[in-house]
Amino acid sequence: MRISADMIFWIQQKRWLLIAFGLGGLLYHFIPGPSGLSPEGYHILIIIFMTLILILKEPVPLPAIALQIIFWQVIIGGSTPNEVGSYFMNDAVFFIMGSLMLAVAIVSQGLDKRMALGIIRITGNKTWRIVAGFTAISAILSSFVGPHMITAMLLPVALTLIRFTPKSSKSTSGLTAALLFSIAYGATIGSIGTPSGGGRNVIMMNYWAEFGSGSLSYLQWMKMVYPMVLIEIPITAFIILKTFPPEMQILDTAVRRLSVEVAHAGKISAREILTVVLFALILLSWMTLSEDYGLGSIALIGIFLYMALGLVSWKELNRGVNWGVILLFGATISIGVQMKNTGGAAWLADLSVGFLQSVIPDIDTLRAIVSVALSGVMSNLLSSSATVAVVGPVVLNLGGDPILLGLASVIASAFGYFTAVAAPACTIIYSSGLVKAPDFLRAGWKMAVMSVLSLMLVALVWWPILN
Amino acid sequence: MINPEALRFLTAVSSSEYSGPTLKMGSLIASVFDAHLGVVYVGDKANEFHGGAVNLTRHNLENWDIIHPGLEVLKWALGELKRFNPNNAGLARIQFNADHIFEEDGRIKVILPEEKGCRVELILREGDLVDQMRKEIQLEGYDLAIIGGSQNKQHLAHSIIQYLPSSIFVLQKFSPQKQYKLLLLVDDSDATQKSIEWGALIAKKLGWPVKTLTVSKTKLFGPGYQGAADMAKTYFESRDIEVEQFFISGDPVTTFVDFAGDDHMIIMGASTLNPIKQLLFGSKPIKTLARTGVPILIVR
Repeated sequence: MRISADMIFWIQQKRWLLIAFGLGGLLYHFIPGPSGLSPEGYHILIIIFMTLILILKEPVPLPAIALQIIFWQVIIGGSTPNEVGSYFMNDAVFFIMGSLMLAVAIVSQGLDKRMALGIIRITGNKTWRIVAGFTAISAILSSFVGPHMITAMLLPVALTLIRFTPKSSKSTSGLTAALLFSIAYGATIGSIGTPSGGGRNVIMMNYWAEFGSGSLSYLQWMKMVYPMVLIEIPITAFIILKTFPPEMQILDTAVRRLSVEVAHAGKISAREILTVVLFALILLSWMTLSEDYGLGSIALIGIFLYMALGLVSWKELNRGVNWGVILLFGATISIGVQMKNTGGAAWLADLSVGFLQSVIPDIDTLRAIVSVALSGVMSNLLSSSATVAVVGPVVLNLGGDPILLGLASVIASAFGYFTAVAAPACTIIYSSGLVKAPDFLRAGWKMAVMSVLSLMLVALVWWPILN
Repeated sequence: MINPEALRFLTAVSSSEYSGPTLKMGSLIASVFDAHLGVVYVGDKANEFHGGAVNLTRHNLENWDIIHPGLEVLKWALGELKRFNPNNAGLARIQFNADHIFEEDGRIKVILPEEKGCRVELILREGDLVDQMRKEIQLEGYDLAIIGGSQNKQHLAHSIIQYLPSSIFVLQKFSPQKQYKLLLLVDDSDATQKSIEWGALIAKKLGWPVKTLTVSKTKLFGPGYQGAADMAKTYFESRDIEVEQFFISGDPVTTFVDFAGDDHMIIMGASTLNPIKQLLFGSKPIKTLARTGVPILIVR
């Protein structure tokens, strides 16, 4: 009786694993691949199909999803173990690993208290200025260091302000949402600004290099994309303030108490100065040396220096880094490359273009719409980096300018405003328990419209000027 | 036989806003039975892609003395338990300390100092409610899980009755101030004996009046049904509990629900049907829980 109930429970919990493998087996054994697609390409697409179901529904832990990608590639994907392994580690994976470790190293120094003081000095105690300040600071800093680090540092500041706000008279749900979304959406719009703003940016750079599609230097990327970040900052703050009107116009008590709280941090220590100087060096190296040495290698040198100087221990890094995610990125990039090599990516690209060509005859417009729509929709379901790892090879096979299409795809993958899943910053504020899933929809659709319009403005006006 | 001295109850809380009545009933039942009470908060699990970022943030929040939202709920729960039990000196002495926690077996446990006469445990888990409660029950060997009603009643009824390996008390529209009557559903199944034992314990401790209801699909009540009803009557009377007996012909689930109205608390045995049949066709407890609006105790 109990064994049978346990079995049913297991089946119920793992039903998406069984569905994914069941559908995969059905496609592999009983449904022949479409004409124009090689058997290897077909098999790789089956693996990707199964993987997408597993990532979406998470019936097994992420590292397990990564492992099944590897063995399916060898068993049915027509690759040798060494081939799979050779695509597994590259500069993009090094960068993701390095940036996750850098986040741990920097966040653990307690610099957020100084940051809080700096923000308050700039914004004063008016609520709209604090929301705008959080949006701007999050966007600018996350464009260089990634959204997860900045959100981890700014969330305590916002929560402390909320905690210190007198609650006697009225609810503070509007103020709470405004402060938290200013951090999350600010960090998300900023993450496209430079290559180091997010793992997905580096994954696309890696695909450009791997597929011989050209390259962009750190500064060239900034020149093309940063104007969009600057356009979006004030509009994002405006959208947040209109969607979640704060109940209080002035946060004098909260700001005063926060100032007292952070003042206890005392004078800046040598350790903190060293942390900032080291990071400035890493940033400078990314800007000037990444074309020769790669973003990932520089990040790893930085981590080595943080450890060598005793600023962070391996134990701290080990505890703070989700190694399963790194494994998954290695696996998804490896299958992305295989998708390109076997012709699966080209077949999918032709299919999507052919499907929509009767509706949108202009091929350049069609390519742009496909790359933006595919990335924008999938990033709300998966995560932005996983989206680029899977969608990137397809976008780069659409034809047209791979750099522009790749950039558009990466930018659109940051449009994951609708759910708490897409962007790390959104997941972090959701985990505070103070914002609910419908809040993401309330503000998200406005953010998506604004972002698409900003992208069109930059792509149609700014990029032609640069060229 | 149930050993009332060794009972372990588990109550699930989700927020200070909605879990007050559930916690109050859990506390009341635990105190009248002098049972060990586990309070578990089951929160959403962060998307695994960004789990590392969430952990990093939570670690940093601790430096600002901002604790996990689930720990906030558990802190509130401990305060409420003290309020519900003002005479429990052991409980009154316990102080919540968010730094005194440890992770084990995929959960976070708040370390509470051992106080005489106080048997409370605070647990934080993340993930699917039924999965996490099931793990907690299996880990600690709880006898009874106490949970509040849910908006998603049909799905919840199916999942908790099928998969939680303990007796289950669902507090639908429960009002701590209301005087309920116990409605014990009696038939010839194996679970009836244990339902009678639970019913007698509750009736004795809370002083609620008891009715037994036996429902047959036909006009005939066979010796199995009649014998079970008589056994219940004898059991209650041997413990000086008055009991009214009812025999009604009709559809069992409809009769249970109609008879219970809105002023009874139902006690019934868990189904002994094959789990696959339960999954496909449901069972009397699943259907009753899905349709009734009163508190219901399903005894396993």
